Amino acid sequence: MGGMRVHRQLHGRGALFDTEPAGLAPRLVGLRPHQHRAIAVEHPQELPFVVLTGARGTGKSALLAELRRAYHGHTPVALVDCEAAEFAAPPAGRDTEAWSPVSQALLVIAEQLAQPVTGAGRITFPRLMSGLVAVAAGGWRDADSERIRREVERILLLNESGSWIAGFAGRWAGRVAANVAAAATGTGPLLSSAIEATLESISDSFVHRRRQRAATWWRDYPNASRNARRGLMLLSGHFRAGGTSREHAERHLVRALLADLTDAYAGVLPRMQRLGRPLVLVDNAQSAPGPGLTDPVLRDRSAGIADQVVFITALRGTGRPALRNAVRRTLPEVARRTDWTPDPASPASRALLVSLPPLTADDTLHIVDEHQVPPQLPHAVHRLTGGNPLGITLLTESAAQNGTGSLGELLTSDVRLHEDRDGRPAYVELLDRLVPADRMEELTVLAAAHDHDSATALAAALLPDDFGPADVRALQTRLVQEGLPEVPGRFVGDPFVRTLLLLRLHHRSADHGRWRATHETLIAHYAPPGPDEAHTRYRLHHELALGSTESAVAHLRDTFTALDTRTWLRTLRFVASAPYFHAHDAEGHDFAAHDDRRAAIALGHTDAAQPMPDSADDHAVAVLHLRIRRLLHAVWQLTDPLALPDPKVCDRLRFELEQLSNLRPAGNALLWRASRDWPEDALAGRPLRIPDGNDDDSGDGEGAA
Amino acid sequence: MAGTGFGTRLREGVWEIPLRRYVALLLTLVVLGGLGFVVRTLAHDDRSCAKGVLRAEGSDECVGVSATGYDWGRAPLRPVVRAIDRENRSIKGPYVTVALLEPFTATDADNLGDVLHELQGAYLAQYQANHRSNGTVPAIRLVLANPGATGAHWEHTVEQLAGMTGAKDRLRAVAGVGLSTAENKRAVAALTARGIAVIGTSITADNLANGQHGKDPFPGLARVAPTNTDEARALTSFARVAADKAVLVHDQKADDPDNGDPYSLTLQRSFEKLLKGSPYAPWSFNPPDDRSLEGSTANDFEQITHLVCDTDAGTDTILFAGRHTQLRQFINALGERGCQKRRFTLLTGDEASYLTGDKDLNRDALNHNLTVRYTALAHPDAWLTSPPATGGSAADAQALLDLVREGQGDKVGPIGDVDLEDGQLIIAHDAMRLTYQGIRFAKGSKDIPTLEEVRNEWRLIKGTQQRVDGASGWICLDNHGNPYDKAVPIVELTSRGTARFVRIAWPEGKPPAKECLPPS
Repeated sequence: MGGMRVHRQLHGRGALFDTEPAGLAPRLVGLRPHQHRAIAVEHPQELPFVVLTGARGTGKSALLAELRRAYHGHTPVALVDCEAAEFAAPPAGRDTEAWSPVSQALLVIAEQLAQPVTGAGRITFPRLMSGLVAVAAGGWRDADSERIRREVERILLLNESGSWIAGFAGRWAGRVAANVAAAATGTGPLLSSAIEATLESISDSFVHRRRQRAATWWRDYPNASRNARRGLMLLSGHFRAGGTSREHAERHLVRALLADLTDAYAGVLPRMQRLGRPLVLVDNAQSAPGPGLTDPVLRDRSAGIADQVVFITALRGTGRPALRNAVRRTLPEVARRTDWTPDPASPASRALLVSLPPLTADDTLHIVDEHQVPPQLPHAVHRLTGGNPLGITLLTESAAQNGTGSLGELLTSDVRLHEDRDGRPAYVELLDRLVPADRMEELTVLAAAHDHDSATALAAALLPDDFGPADVRALQTRLVQEGLPEVPGRFVGDPFVRTLLLLRLHHRSADHGRWRATHETLIAHYAPPGPDEAHTRYRLHHELALGSTESAVAHLRDTFTALDTRTWLRTLRFVASAPYFHAHDAEGHDFAAHDDRRAAIALGHTDAAQPMPDSADDHAVAVLHLRIRRLLHAVWQLTDPLALPDPKVCDRLRFELEQLSNLRPAGNALLWRASRDWPEDALAGRPLRIPDGNDDDSGDGEGAA
Repeated sequence: MAGTGFGTRLREGVWEIPLRRYVALLLTLVVLGGLGFVVRTLAHDDRSCAKGVLRAEGSDECVGVSATGYDWGRAPLRPVVRAIDRENRSIKGPYVTVALLEPFTATDADNLGDVLHELQGAYLAQYQANHRSNGTVPAIRLVLANPGATGAHWEHTVEQLAGMTGAKDRLRAVAGVGLSTAENKRAVAALTARGIAVIGTSITADNLANGQHGKDPFPGLARVAPTNTDEARALTSFARVAADKAVLVHDQKADDPDNGDPYSLTLQRSFEKLLKGSPYAPWSFNPPDDRSLEGSTANDFEQITHLVCDTDAGTDTILFAGRHTQLRQFINALGERGCQKRRFTLLTGDEASYLTGDKDLNRDALNHNLTVRYTALAHPDAWLTSPPATGGSAADAQALLDLVREGQGDKVGPIGDVDLEDGQLIIAHDAMRLTYQGIRFAKGSKDIPTLEEVRNEWRLIKGTQQRVDGASGWICLDNHGNPYDKAVPIVELTSRGTARFVRIAWPEGKPPAKECLPPS
């Protein structure tokens, strides 16, 4: 994610970045992006805690990176990625008792916010600094003074004002670090000495009201008896204790950060120097320390402890349970105003969840068009990716590097995302970013599954023994949590991700053995006839995936008169939605071959060579057989996300459906409707409609629905 | 990134940040102010000569009113200007300001000499007022007002003087005025129209006086010198000229509305009355507009000289109505006349007094049967031998002479080189005396009289108590502010360039009675 080549201008995210009229970010920050010009803020008193939601690859990280670029140097900006390694575990030699992802994140955030901006100098964080020193001091029991010095100096730098007066007196942090280290390794009680030295250093450094306020801030810590030193001792103790005590301590550390920021913006001089509000960007806020940063802010704001910090966080999925009551909007809805009013009773309502919609066809065109590409490619890319920003940009990159127009080739060709890294197939790069890495292997297999049962069957047959039905359920839940759509009849709901996974499955082994095994397993799973059409449908679908069309054609031919027309059409549509890879080729070639035999069959070029099945004795049956064969291949080709719809095939599809409608007086209207709708839908890249049907199950063909 | 041009950086790096915006605005203001100041200082045409004095528009002449030790760039004036400045600064207690209106920037030596002498006289009178009058208040502060050498910038100076009548300067009178030019006449009209009393020193022109044809066009104007008419009357009472034995030479432009000369005109009219029935029509010359310039009149006079020689043998008197430069040219021409054997007496007004120090005068002309006699404004010898019983006194004359002597010392002076013979010092002294006496009479029981009180005082300057015992004779003013039967010394220009006192003549034919009350 972080390494993605990001476009200079993010397409389709104007609702966030627009200047005239101002988008969400400028309205909250109070500054035009990339400019040092103030604009009116939308929520002058209390501002929403913005959470961008979406599945992997929806462009959240790119948005946050662009936000940082837009405001860097203009207002204090911090960007942390909660999945970064530095938050996963304490640095070497550091005790977990005195370290937590939240404390680390606060340190990193404050370090970034401290940077001077146009018109104003560094921000100091005396409150947070003393809190972090107190926390760190909890782990110094048997540390040597050199290590203490090293640890504490980084924290103390938060209070370095960087002014020339301070510079005149030498690096403040260096001097104080020596004092603190000396105090901590001295004879007296270690913790209180370190705290004492730190507090003294704040209040002594300058006789300044602002500093005095900061030095006494911790006396408001619960049970501190109006004594800052005691407050810090308690903080340190709570932090060390872990559990909810640590959460309590962390909450106060977050509050200290916000108080320092508020203080930096208070007063006549700062107000005349600083434009806008400080901006804190938290990526991957679903993992620690994300919740540890989010929840205290929401709680404090709900409790009336106001701050003016703009939080914009990115959350994979659709929202954590803690944010259940948050206000939800889509990005286009907040383009002009948020319509956000917090509910006093619910801290979560201080959050504003903004979901990122897929990019439109126009956006796709704008992105892909930046390179010299074949004219039909933008449309094909959009049809395949469904507007997934990551998919679009990576395919564009692949097109730029490989200079080909075929989607299949673009996906399998190597793409280099970094100068210093070898290229890898585009679909691999995409999957790395679009699915959880730890379940890649399982998902590759399960992508072919349709529901829990089929997935379990696949897992039992092809996955290691330790991956049982419970794990299948867990994986399914996880996909939903990560924001992938839940689609009946598809284990992996997102068509683009599913296509990529199936592609990976196809390429898993050189002889496509894994691919074949998977589909054979499912064919076996669906072999016993089900209660209705469904099992047959699935079986034929997977047979088709393996390249065997005969039974599908036969089944469709035989049921054409027997089945309800709508059900028949669904069966046709579902069976034809099977992935089309040339795994079945005698030479073992994959689909990269340019000739798409489906089109040839659909257009009737192979009819003559087609041996008649046994049952097709009389002429009418033979004609129907061939017609249905052509029809199946036409639908198969036209709905293949990796192939561009062929207009000639579309035309043929219309014709075949018209002809069929003549054969079925009962279903005449439906078939005729389909003969009009399907070619149109196919050309537009839409799922094929079943006219007048209860058509919420587009594309899946789940007959049981 | 948005544009990184200068405009964007200015907008985003400075303007958008309030602190920087205000600091930048402040700095911009300071810089602009500084620039403005620098540009103004650099571009400013410093027209100031001294405090209160500046170069007039379109000219390099320093005009205005000086209350400091500024010497107008004229070295001869420097000692007396410094003395006046010292005197002004030593004033303690109530004071009024009197301005001396003179062409301090005069370029020719004649006029500058006059100015110097008047300045010395005025100063001595100021000194007398402040130190020799038993501590009578108010003290007199003397400031110098220059309308320009030709009086061209009188408007500026008059405006400035008018602005000094307030509580700070307390200007109550303007003395001086000097020549009776058209510009000076307008200046006097403007000053008196603003209610400021004016005391003329050597104004002799009739039309720069009140009471002519029963009108008072200059309310508040007082004069020390007799009018030209009175001078002419005194002159004629002295000469007893017969119409058939005299010819008149006059200024052709004397009655010009723009560049006219009231002095010459008055003299001309008076002489014309004497010459009623003369066989010769008057001869005129055409002087330049600035009559202190040489112009081309010398040529006129050469031709007039031929006419003079062509007159009957009985003609022995030439009456000259004109200014001193032209008079000099005429005398020089007469010195070259063809009829050197014939004896002529040239009679003229007080302008001839300028010729006493005039280096361009061909003094040898006076050795060739030519006598130049004229009415002086005053003469130091007038009262020293056998003075009349009334109309003036030797003691008053001697008092000024003593003061002049003191003026050479450090206590009163130094006031520079003194020349009493042209009478300018004496007459200016008398005018200042009239001024301060008038002001002190007018003040009543207060310290400072109002402008109006000063203006209305002149008609009361008469009688044994209130007449001014001037060094040039008694000054008793009639109801129009003109001196009544003022002693007119008749002097003769000598070939040594001095004025020899001949005798005192009286406009009324005899000295005034000791009450010195003008008849109605």
